[in-house]
Amino acid sequence: MEERSLLLVRIAGEMAAIESERIQSVVELDNITPVPRAPAHVVGLAALRSKAMTVVNCRCSLELAASEAVSEGEILALAVVVEIDEYLYALVVDRVEEVVPLEGEPAPLRADLLPGWTRATLGMVETTAGPALLLDPDQLVAGPSNREAA
Amino acid sequence: MDDLLADFIAEARDMMEALSGEIVAWENDPADKDRLDAIFRFVHTVKGNCGFFDFPRLETLSHAAEDALADCRAGRRTADKALVSAVLAVIDRIAEMVDAIGEGAELPGTDDEALIAALAEGAETAEAPSKEAAPTSNRAKRQSAAPRTIRLPVDLLDRVMGGVSDMAVARNDLARRLAQAEGETGLEAPFNRLSAILVDLSEAITRIRMQRIDTLFAGFPRMVRDLSHELGKQVMVEVESGDVEIDREMIEVVRDPMVHIIRNAIDHGIEKPAERLTVGKREIGSLTITARQTGSEIRIGIVDDGKGIDGEKLVAKAISAGLITAEEAAALTPRERNMLICQPGLSTAKEVTSVSGRGVGMDVVRANIERIGGSLVIDSTPGSGTRMMLNIPLTLSIVPSLTIGIAGHTFALPRSYVEEIVRNSGDEMDSNRMGGRKFITLRGQRIPCVGLEEVLGLKSTCPEDARLYVLIKLVGGDVFGLAVDAIHNHEELVVKPIAPVLMSCGLYVGTTQLDDGSPVPMLDIAGVARSAGMISEVKDRTIRTAGGEVREEEKALQPALLFVGFDGGERAIDMDSVRRIEKLPVSAVRRERDGTAQIVIDGKIVPFLGVAGELPEDMVAMFRIGAEDREIAYAYERMIDLVEYEPDTVSKANKRTGSRLALIDGRPVDVLDEARLLADHAGRVAEGA
Repeated sequence: MEERSLLLVRIAGEMAAIESERIQSVVELDNITPVPRAPAHVVGLAALRSKAMTVVNCRCSLELAASEAVSEGEILALAVVVEIDEYLYALVVDRVEEVVPLEGEPAPLRADLLPGWTRATLGMVETTAGPALLLDPDQLVAGPSNREAA
Repeated sequence: MDDLLADFIAEARDMMEALSGEIVAWENDPADKDRLDAIFRFVHTVKGNCGFFDFPRLETLSHAAEDALADCRAGRRTADKALVSAVLAVIDRIAEMVDAIGEGAELPGTDDEALIAALAEGAETAEAPSKEAAPTSNRAKRQSAAPRTIRLPVDLLDRVMGGVSDMAVARNDLARRLAQAEGETGLEAPFNRLSAILVDLSEAITRIRMQRIDTLFAGFPRMVRDLSHELGKQVMVEVESGDVEIDREMIEVVRDPMVHIIRNAIDHGIEKPAERLTVGKREIGSLTITARQTGSEIRIGIVDDGKGIDGEKLVAKAISAGLITAEEAAALTPRERNMLICQPGLSTAKEVTSVSGRGVGMDVVRANIERIGGSLVIDSTPGSGTRMMLNIPLTLSIVPSLTIGIAGHTFALPRSYVEEIVRNSGDEMDSNRMGGRKFITLRGQRIPCVGLEEVLGLKSTCPEDARLYVLIKLVGGDVFGLAVDAIHNHEELVVKPIAPVLMSCGLYVGTTQLDDGSPVPMLDIAGVARSAGMISEVKDRTIRTAGGEVREEEKALQPALLFVGFDGGERAIDMDSVRRIEKLPVSAVRRERDGTAQIVIDGKIVPFLGVAGELPEDMVAMFRIGAEDREIAYAYERMIDLVEYEPDTVSKANKRTGSRLALIDGRPVDVLDEARLLADHAGRVAEGA
C-alpha cells in the first residue's frame, strides 16, 4: 500500500490535518481580489500562474472568529492549495507545521465539537506530533451555508 | 470531402494497426470466433465507407472478404489455413490501397481477381501472398505517411493550452519588469521576438481546438426524421454548415438550445401534411439549419416553413398572465412580441405533448444563449414560417470585454451587451428619480439605471457627475444603465469558469486575468440585471416617452454587411449570402491583364472580385459567397457595419451594370446581387482550365 501522509496546519490555535495527496502546493498569497457578495468564508480570488484560485478562509469556514490575518487587500496569507472538480482553491490557514505519516484510519470523535469543526472534520488522527482533526477540504470550501444540506 | 477522406484513411489505419495482432492470432487458430468477428468488422467498415467514396476496387475486395467471413460466422463454412491466407492477402492489399489513397498515388497492383478467387471455398493454397516483399515495403510507406493526421486526447490539448496561457502571464510579468529596468537592457529585441512567437503559438492552439460545425449538425437530420415520424409529420431537413469552425466547448453548450428549437419547430411550427395541403403548402415541411461565420460571431439560423408564431395570441396570453399591460403590448415590435415566447410559463401550444410545450424551455434556451454572451432573434410570419437566429461568440474562452472600475474594484463585462457608454453630463442627458429608481432620458427614451455598487453592496466615493453609464442591452431588447466609476479598458480576455461557490451568488460568470496577472471576476450581466430588478422580465422594458418618435412598424428587414471596397465605393452584401469572412495573404492572389483576378483558397482557385485599386501588401480581407464548388471571393478595404435594409426599398437592377440600390441609413448603397455575381463569374476559372 502506498504511504499516506498528512500536512499539519494550525487554525485558530488548534492543530488540524489535511491529507497530503489532496494538496497541490502551499503558497503565500498576496494580491487577493475580493469578490463582493460572495459567501462570508470566501475571501476572493488569487492567481496561481495563469489560473485563478478561489481563496477560502478556514477560520470563517469553521465558523470561528476571523483573525486579523486575512482581510481584503494585500495582506500576506499562507494557504494550502487543493483541487476540487478542476477548480483550484486556496485554503488560508494560520500556520503550516509539518508533514507526518498517516498511520491507521481516522477515528470518530466521541464528543460534540463546535458546529463548524463537526461539519468539516473527517475524524481524529494520532500523529507523531500529537492528535489532530482531519479536515475535509470539500466541506471547508462549501462553508457554513451548506450545513442544512449535509 | 477532403476531410471525410482523411477521416476514412485515419480510421482505416487505426483499425489495421489494432488488427495486426488479431490477424496473427487468427492465423494460429482459424476457429477463434472473436478474432474472426474483429476481422469481419474491419472489412465490413471498409466496405461501408467505400459507399461514400468512389473506390470500386476497394469495395469489391472488401465485399468479397466480407462474404467469405460472413459464411464462416454463419457456420456455412469453416475457416481454414487457405481462407486465412486469402483474407490476409486481401487485407494487405486494402492497406496498400489506403496508403496510396492517402498519398494521392496510383492504386497498386491489378490482380484483384486473383485475390478474390483465392477467397472461394476450395481454392488453391498456393495463391497465398508473398509475405516477404509486400508487407515490408508497406510498413515503411505507412510510417512515412502516418504523421499527416494524428489523434490526440483532449486533456493533452487542454494542458498545452493551459501552458500557453501560463506563458502569456509569465511574459506579461517579464514585460512589466523590463519596463521598470533603467536604460538599455539589451533584452528588448529577444523579448519582442518571444512575444511574437507566443502570439503565433496561442493562435495555433486556438485553431487546434476548433472543430467543424458539421460535428454538431451531423445528428440533426436523424433527430428530425425520428421526431417527425413520431408526430406524423413530414419534414425535409436541409443542413448547411458553410465551412464554419467552432470551439469544441461551444459545441456542447449550443447543442441543447438548438435541439430545443428544432423540436419546437417540428412540434409546433410545421403542420401535419393534411393541414399543410389545405392552406396551399407542400405537404412536406422544410427545415433549414445554416451556419455562417461573421467576424467574431457565428450565426446559426433555424428556419421552418410552418405556421409561424401567433403574435396576437402570445400578447393576449402575456397580458392575461399579467406579464405586460395592454399599453405596453401595443408598443411592442414584432420581434419583441416574438420574444414573449421566451417568457417562463408562456406557450401557445394548444396541447402539451411529450416533445415540447410545457412552457418551460424557450426561457431556458434564451438564458443559456445569453449566458455565453450570445443572442437570440426570432422573426416569424404567421402562416408561413419562423426564423430563429442564434448569434454566438466564436469561442467560449476569449471574450471581447470591457473592464470597469467601481469603488476601487475592477470587474470585466462582456462587450456584446454594451450598447453605448454615456457620461452623466447635463447637456444631452436628463435624469430623474422616480420611486427610488434613477432614470436617464436619452434620445426620447427613459432608461432605468442602477449603480453597480448598489448591486455589489459596495460604497462608491466617486462624485455623481463624474460617473459613467454603461447602457446594457439585454437579450430580448431590454436596455438599462449601469453606473460605474471608470472604464479602464477594452480588451480580449481569456475567461475561465468560476468556482461553484462563487457562481452561486449569481453575479459572476467567470474569472479572467489582467495583463499584470491579477484575477478579475467577470460579471454575469443577466444576473446583475435580475438582482437589480431590471429584468422582472418584460415589465422593465424601456418606457417610450409619449410624443417621442413614432416607431416604425418593423418590416422584415434584410441584414447586410456594409463595406468599403478598394475602389473607395461603399457597397453592401446580404448577410445570408456571406459564407465566410476572412483574411488571406496577398501572395495567393493572381491578377490577369484584363483586370480579373483569382485567389487560392484551401487549395482551390476562386474568382476574386473587388480588386480594382491598390491591394494592401500582406493580408487582404474578403468575404466568400456562393456554394462549395461554385464560389467567389470579394475583397474589401474595411467593414463599416452590420446594417439592415428594407427589401422593398431596393431599386431595380441597372441593366448595364447590374447594380441595385437600397436605402441604408438614408443613403443609397449599391447592394451586390449574389445570384448575378455567381452567374457572371463563378465557373469562369473552371472553363478556362
